[in-house]
Amino acid sequence: MPTTRRDLARLAAAVTLAAPGLAAPAIARAQGRTLALWHVFNLETEAYMREGVRSWNAANPNLRIEERIIPFAQYRTELVRAIATGETPDLCVIDNPDTPSFSAQNQLTDLSARVAASANIKADKYLPGPWSTTQWRGHTYAIPRDSNTIALYLNHEMFRAAGLDPAKPPATWAEVVETAKKLASADGRVVGIMFSARAAEDATFQWLPWLWQAGADIDKLDTPEAAAALQVWVELVSSGAASRDVLTVSQSEGTNRLISGNAAMAISGPWDTPRVSQQARFEWSVAPLPVRGIGQEIRASALGGWNWAIPQGSKNPDAAWRVIEHMSQPEIMRNSWVSGRLAPRTDVTVENPAYPQAFAAYSEQMKVARARGPHPRWPDLSRPVQQAIQQALSGQASAEAALRTAAGVIRPILAQVPLRG
Amino acid sequence: MRRTSFADSPRLLGAMVASSLAFIVAFVGYPVFYNLVMSFQEVTLGNIRDFWRPFAGVANYRTLIQDPAFAQVTINTVVFTAANVILQLGFGFALALFFNLDFPGARWMRGMILAGWILPPLVIAAIFKWLFATNGGLVNEALLATGVIARPMTFLSDPASAMPIVIATNVWFGTPFAMILLSAGLSNLPDEVYEAAAIDGAGPWQRLVRITLPLMAPTIFAVLCLSTIYTLRAFDVIFGMTGGGPVNATLTFPVWSFQFSFQQFTFGQGAAIATLMFVFVIGVSIVYIRSLKSETRL
Repeated sequence: MPTTRRDLARLAAAVTLAAPGLAAPAIARAQGRTLALWHVFNLETEAYMREGVRSWNAANPNLRIEERIIPFAQYRTELVRAIATGETPDLCVIDNPDTPSFSAQNQLTDLSARVAASANIKADKYLPGPWSTTQWRGHTYAIPRDSNTIALYLNHEMFRAAGLDPAKPPATWAEVVETAKKLASADGRVVGIMFSARAAEDATFQWLPWLWQAGADIDKLDTPEAAAALQVWVELVSSGAASRDVLTVSQSEGTNRLISGNAAMAISGPWDTPRVSQQARFEWSVAPLPVRGIGQEIRASALGGWNWAIPQGSKNPDAAWRVIEHMSQPEIMRNSWVSGRLAPRTDVTVENPAYPQAFAAYSEQMKVARARGPHPRWPDLSRPVQQAIQQALSGQASAEAALRTAAGVIRPILAQVPLRG
Repeated sequence: MRRTSFADSPRLLGAMVASSLAFIVAFVGYPVFYNLVMSFQEVTLGNIRDFWRPFAGVANYRTLIQDPAFAQVTINTVVFTAANVILQLGFGFALALFFNLDFPGARWMRGMILAGWILPPLVIAAIFKWLFATNGGLVNEALLATGVIARPMTFLSDPASAMPIVIATNVWFGTPFAMILLSAGLSNLPDEVYEAAAIDGAGPWQRLVRITLPLMAPTIFAVLCLSTIYTLRAFDVIFGMTGGGPVNATLTFPVWSFQFSFQQFTFGQGAAIATLMFVFVIGVSIVYIRSLKSETRL
């Protein structure tokens, strides 16, 4: 999930700047054939999109890509509005957990035949997690664009000041609680760890790895394993090892606390790596997420990232598919890491990557990243989980009781359409 | 005074009324009607483009009312709106009176205060979220440095204090609007009345209670109605600061409606909330329009 886009100040600025741009596609269309592409990426930092579109436009002057960049927080709203009014773009990106919602409701073009005829886009060239989010009832409705997952950022100086070795990051749940307690300052100004448990998808995205590592899943929330996974978070917050602000901060705001020296560790994704690298005035590194315990080493992480999709109503689905093919070439996808995005393909090699330690850590973590769902009603499954997390962390209910309530909401939805259905 | 008006030319009057009526029907009436229809339908991503969708009866309304969060969201909306209206009016009136003293720099300062109202609410949300952060937030740092508290306060991340903080932020945002309307009202008050009162020996307090407040009553009432309507639909500040959390502590109807429509894709329920809010806003508007009529009669 590119949560940098949730940086609200920047978002508001972008809204103001985007308004005059609305008239541009109409002018361009009058001059020749263009292809409307909607996405959320900041072209200043997103080398993959910038260079990919540039090379396409250079090679196809009569079918130029006309981009409309929409801030992340408004993207879904705009896409829904476009569907409601029949004004869909020719090509767009869709957040991977949302993709099944749109595919199952027949809002995306079935790409199965095109994939079958393609030399470059083949299921076996993609990581299974990202690819699974593009599938609905045996058909392919989207193509993975980029992937990400979460891991643990460490402030080495704070580790050393607390007598800890940053080369030995906490490897188990017990160790992360103990380490975070040691790193938290007595006056409460610096906390041991930040993560995001706010009333939004961030909470589900960040907690699922713990749930999976416990051996449970979203259809097994009323189990002791699930309760144990939530109890670690409760312990981190109630002991003061983590800030109570996890209930309101986004993932990137959590990383801000690490950068500003108010947190010694932060769980976030590679989208924050360029920012940490530029702004942190201390030595740092990225460690894999801790596992439940010795002998209970189920490694898991949550999958984020965007897919390409051709909405129903695209005026030029053939050209849109050619753009997807163009953008999916390994040599173009290689640019993804510049802005902290990993390639969802297995044949993309990044030579001399920027931030090499973080690249290695996230690439390793990617191997155990699982998709959310995929489920056409993922938002309805995610919301009760967010509620349970917030209830338990704010002390309004025990982890077991909160999760039992969530399980009760989720069960009838899964009875209609099971997970990975 | 004999006023020349459109009434002198019935045909021109008819054309003007018809065109504004057509505008209102197309851009206000139709969306309201469309939303009302949606609230009685089962609307999904698959059929949102159609007008004829499966009729759902009152199912959307029933789901809403039976939702465990409904009672809390209702209370939150009432608390948020009432507190905002009272505080914005109180502070706005105090500021308007203060700047009405017309001391050197008063106009300039009044202009500066308006800056808060010009900022995009999402920016205000981001700034206040940081001000009230538990670790490294400016408010906590100031309280810690002056020894008022020994440990940082969890302002926004505690369900008990999140609502007061969100209210405070929205009051800061909305007060300049109330102030400017009340300032305009104050500057229209006749000077003769105050001069007469001064001759009769009325003190400042008597002048405020016996003259200013009664004369300002219609303006105060108008501001009351307008800020009720503006606060009821407030979305950005809450969405930006807490997203409705922690545990629904700041969830109000507009934020809930957004979540239903654009996060869960259950558009019918989002529309049902919008319809409920519309009924309430219409009620406030009728009261407001009536007050305008009585004001012109004065």
